[in-house]
Amino acid sequence: MTDSSFRSGRPPVSAHFPGVQPDNASRREFLRRTGALSLAASAAPWALSLAAMGEAAAAAASTSDNYKALVCIFLYGGNDYANTLVAYDQATYNAYNSLRSNIAIGRDLLAQTVLSPTTALPNGRQYALAPTLAPLLPIFNAGALSIALNVGTLVQPTTKAQYNARSVPVPPKLFSHNDQSSYWQASAPEGASSGWGGRMGDLLASGNGNSTFTCVSVAGNAVYLSGNQVSQYQVASSGPVAVEGIKSAMFGSTACSTALKGLMNTPRTQLLENSYATVSARALTANDTLSNALTAANVATVFPTGNSLADQLKLVAQMISVSSALGTKRQVFFVSMGGFDNHEGLGGAGGAHALLLAGVANAMSAFYQATKDLGVSQKVTTFTASDFGRTLNSNSSGSDHGWGGVQFVMGDAVKGKSFIGAAPTLANDGPDDVGQGRLVPTTGVDQFGATLANWFGVSPSDQIGVVLPNLKNYSTRDLGFMG
Amino acid sequence: MLVACGGGGGGGGGSSFAGLSAKDTATTDAAQPTRGVAILGSPIVAGAATTTYTTPANSKDAARFLSQASPGATRAQIAAMQAMSYSAWLDAQFASPRSQTHVDWLTAQDYGSSKYLGQVKGLDNTVWRKFISSPDLLRQRITLAFSEIFVVSIDGLNAYYPQFSVGYFLDVLEANAFGNYRSLLYDVSRSAAMGTYLTYVGNQLGDPATGSEPDENYAREIMQLFTIGLYKLNNDGTQVLVDGAPVETYTQADVSGLARVFTGWFNDTSSGTQTPAAFTQPMVQVSSIYEEGSKTFLGTTIPAGAKTLAGALDSLNRAIDTLFNHPNIPPFVCRQLIQRLVTSNPSPAYVNRVANAFINNGSGVRGDMKAVIRQILLDDEARNPFIGTTIAFGKLREPVMRFLNWARGWNATSTSGGWDIGDLSSAADGLGQSPMHSPSVFNFFRPGYVPSNSDLGNYNLNGPEFQITNESTVSGYVNFMQRAVSGQILTDLKPDYGTLTAIAADSGALLDEINLVLAAGQLSDATLATLKVAVDTISASNDAGKLNRLYAALTLVLASPEYIVQK
Repeated sequence: MTDSSFRSGRPPVSAHFPGVQPDNASRREFLRRTGALSLAASAAPWALSLAAMGEAAAAAASTSDNYKALVCIFLYGGNDYANTLVAYDQATYNAYNSLRSNIAIGRDLLAQTVLSPTTALPNGRQYALAPTLAPLLPIFNAGALSIALNVGTLVQPTTKAQYNARSVPVPPKLFSHNDQSSYWQASAPEGASSGWGGRMGDLLASGNGNSTFTCVSVAGNAVYLSGNQVSQYQVASSGPVAVEGIKSAMFGSTACSTALKGLMNTPRTQLLENSYATVSARALTANDTLSNALTAANVATVFPTGNSLADQLKLVAQMISVSSALGTKRQVFFVSMGGFDNHEGLGGAGGAHALLLAGVANAMSAFYQATKDLGVSQKVTTFTASDFGRTLNSNSSGSDHGWGGVQFVMGDAVKGKSFIGAAPTLANDGPDDVGQGRLVPTTGVDQFGATLANWFGVSPSDQIGVVLPNLKNYSTRDLGFMG
Repeated sequence: MLVACGGGGGGGGGSSFAGLSAKDTATTDAAQPTRGVAILGSPIVAGAATTTYTTPANSKDAARFLSQASPGATRAQIAAMQAMSYSAWLDAQFASPRSQTHVDWLTAQDYGSSKYLGQVKGLDNTVWRKFISSPDLLRQRITLAFSEIFVVSIDGLNAYYPQFSVGYFLDVLEANAFGNYRSLLYDVSRSAAMGTYLTYVGNQLGDPATGSEPDENYAREIMQLFTIGLYKLNNDGTQVLVDGAPVETYTQADVSGLARVFTGWFNDTSSGTQTPAAFTQPMVQVSSIYEEGSKTFLGTTIPAGAKTLAGALDSLNRAIDTLFNHPNIPPFVCRQLIQRLVTSNPSPAYVNRVANAFINNGSGVRGDMKAVIRQILLDDEARNPFIGTTIAFGKLREPVMRFLNWARGWNATSTSGGWDIGDLSSAADGLGQSPMHSPSVFNFFRPGYVPSNSDLGNYNLNGPEFQITNESTVSGYVNFMQRAVSGQILTDLKPDYGTLTAIAADSGALLDEINLVLAAGQLSDATLATLKVAVDTISASNDAGKLNRLYAALTLVLASPEYIVQK
C-alpha cells in the first residue's frame, strides 16, 4: 500500500514554506563592528573618513546612470534539484534513475526540454529542464537564462573530505529549513538581523529619491531585505492597503479619522508600542505614495491567473514601470512561493512538484515578457533561491532535506544559454555526495550574490566588507554570468 | 549579569545588552512589595522569587490577569475574577468542563456527509465557535497557544476530511491542555493531522533496491520545534556556551535514527478510507512498511522489535520518553509558553522558575501542565503591576487575539449557529492571520524573532508577533476591525452592545468601559482625552448616533498601540 492510495489527490502544500522568515541574531556583532570602527576612527580619523568618502562616491556614481532592479524569487521548502534540472545523458540519467526510481522523471518525457548551452558541459554531460519548466526553454535559448548547477550555503570553499573531517567551518544547522533559508538570505542562521539584499540597499538607498522603496517585499517579512539602516517595505500583491477610517470620515467623523491617524503616527516610549507605531507610521506615508504612483502603472503583459507568484511578480513589474515617479534608481524585490518541501509529491507528470514548477515557469516567463514590454529587460535581473537542495535518494514518494541545489538567473543582462559551476556527480557516496545524495555545494551563495552585486553597482570592497561576509574566503568572486 | 542568547526555541534572539546602563527600576526595600529586580545592561525587569500579588486589587488588575489567561473576557467575567484570588480562579478553570468537541460539532452539523469529501468547509466554523464562545477561558487560551507550537495547517492538508483531521487535532490539544506534556507529545505523534502535515503517514522503511530512505520530516521537527530545540539550554532558557559557542543538541545522524521510529504509521481505515473516522482516531500500523530494526539517536538505542503495532508503539514510547526526559525540554517549552501568555522577553529567572515547575509539580511529576500554567500566571514577573509599566515588558497581541478580545468582550455569538466567519488570513482584507492556517510548521512567527530597525531590535529583544507586522497587516487590521465591530462584515456574528449603548451618551464612561474590557485599563489618560474629543463629535442624540459612537470608540481603542501591546 502506498500513501497515495488514500489521499484526496489535491496537490499538497508543504508544511514548510514560511512566507516570512525570521530575523536577527547578531546585532551584537553589528555593535561590535561599529564599536571597533569608532575605535579605529579615533586612531586614524582622516584615513577612515577618506575611505568612507570613497565608498560613498562609488555608490553614488554607480546609481547615477540608469535604473536597475534585482528580483529574488524564494522557493520556500527546499526545491528538489534532481527533478528540476534532470540529468539527461544516458550514463548520468541511469545513475539518477537508479537512486530514485520511484520518483524519477521518465527519460522519454525530457526529450523536448533538453538544453543546448553555448558551451557544452565536459564529459558529455547533458541536462533537461523538468517538462513543466518548458516555458523557460525559449528564454534559455534566447540567451537570457543561466542555470547554477550546484549552489548552496557555504562559509568557504568546501570539499567532501573537508566536510567529513569537519576541518573547515560550514554553516550552522545544515538541512534545517528556517536556518538555511536564513543563511541563503543573510549569511547567518535564523536570528540574522540583515540580509544581503538589505545590505546592498543600505549602500544604494542614497541614490534613490525616495529610499522607502529601495527594498520591497511582495511576500511577507524577509530577512533578505532587512538592512542595517534600510527597512524593507512590504506590499500585498493586490497593492498597498489604505486605511479606510483615515481616507474617509470614520462613522461620519473627521475628528475620529484624525484621532486614528494620530494613534498610528505618534511615537511612543514603550519599546513594543513604538516598534509597532514605527511600522504603522511608515505604512500611512508609503502606502499613499505608492498608491498614487501606481495609478500610472502601464503593464500590458498578460500574467497567468490563479498563480500567487505571478500575482507578486506582476506587482513588481507595475512598480518598476513607475520607478521614475517613485524616484528609485536601485531596487531589490523579494517574492516567494511555498510548497517545495517535497517529502512527498515528487515524480509524476501531474505530481505536486511538477505543478509547482509549472507555476514558477509560467510566472517567470510572464515577468520576463513584462520586462521586455517595458523596455527594461537589460535592467532587471531575476534569480531563484531556496532553503537547500534535497537528497537524491528518495523517500516513499519524495526526498529529504539536502544542501546544494539548482538555481536560475534570468534577464537580458545575464550571459544566458549557459550553466554556472560544475555538474555534480550523481552517485551514492560519489565525490559530491555527503549522504543520500546531499550535494556539497561547489558554488557558494556569496559568490553567486557577489556576481549579482557587481552588476548592481556595489563596489568589490563593499561586497566583501558589507554585503557578503563570507566572500573574502573565495578567490573567484565574480562567476562571470552577468554581462 | 550578562545573558547569552535566549534559547526559548529557535531564532537567536535573547538578550545581551553590553554597554546599556541599567535603569533605576529596582528597589530592595523589604517593607514594600518589590518593584522587580533590575538586570544589568538590560531594559528587562525581572520578577521576585515570590510575589505579594495574589489577589487583584481592582478591576484593572483582574482584567490584566485575564488578558494573559484568556482569549478575552466580558465585564461580568472580569468582575467574577476580581472577587477571588488568582489561584482560586485557576482552580476553577482547571475544574471547568470541556464544551462540545470539534469532532462532535462537525458531525452534528453534517460536515461528515459525502458532499464535504475533500473539502475544508466546517473547520473555520468550529474553530471560531470554540475560541469565541466556549466558556472554559483558560483551556481555550492554552489550546490556542499549543496550536502555535504544535503547528498543523489545514491549507493544503491532504485528507479526505481535512476539517475532521484538524478538528480532531485541536481536540487532542485541548484534551491535553491541563494534562501532561508527555501525553500531549504521544497523542500528537499518533494524530492523522500531524502524520499528514509532516508526511510520516505511509512513511516506509528504507529500500536498498531503490535507494529509498525513511522520510525524516517529523523526526527533525519533533526535536527542533516540539521538544528540545537546536541548541543546549540552561534551565533558565539561556544557551549553554562552550568556548563562547552554542552546542548543538542533535546531528543529522540523530534525525536519520529517529526517523526509523516514524515508519509504518497510517490512518486507521478500519471503518473505510473515505470517512471522517479515518481522521479522528490515532494512527495505526501498516507493519509491512515499518522499520523493525534498532534505532539509535541522542545517545539512546531502541532495540529491534516486532514488526507489529505493539512493536511500533514500544519504539514510539521509548522515543518519546527520550525526548521528554531531555534537559532542554523544560526551558525550551516553558519560555515559549510564557511568550504566548505574558511577555516576549521573560527574564532568565522567570523561565527558570517555570521550568522547575515543569520538572517537578511539587509531587514529583514531570510535565504537569497545570503546574506550568500556574507558575507562568502567578509568578511575580507576570503579576507585579510595576513590572507591567516598564518599557520592555509585555507582548504584541497577535491579530487573532485582538479579534477574540473584541468578540468575547461583548459576547458575540453566531446568529445562525453556524459560525460563518471563515478564513481571515488575507492581509489586505482580513486579519493577516487565522487559526490553523499557519503558512508553515514554523508557525506565523518564531519565538526568537527580533524585528530589524526597531526599538526592540536596537536592544536585540524578541518580538515574535512582529514577524507578521508590516505595512499591509497594520492597515488591513484596522480596516477589518472597523468593519467587524460595526457589522459591515461577519454579519452572522452578533455582539451584545447593550452595556455600551446604555452609556454611549457619556463618551468618557464609554471609553473607560472599552478601555477596561479590551486593554485592562492600559490606555493612558492622555490618549483617552484625545479619543474623547474625537468621539464627542459624533452626536448621541439618537440610536444610530449612539451606535456610531461606540463603533468609533471600539475601533480607536483597538487601533491604539497601548492596547495592541499587552502589558
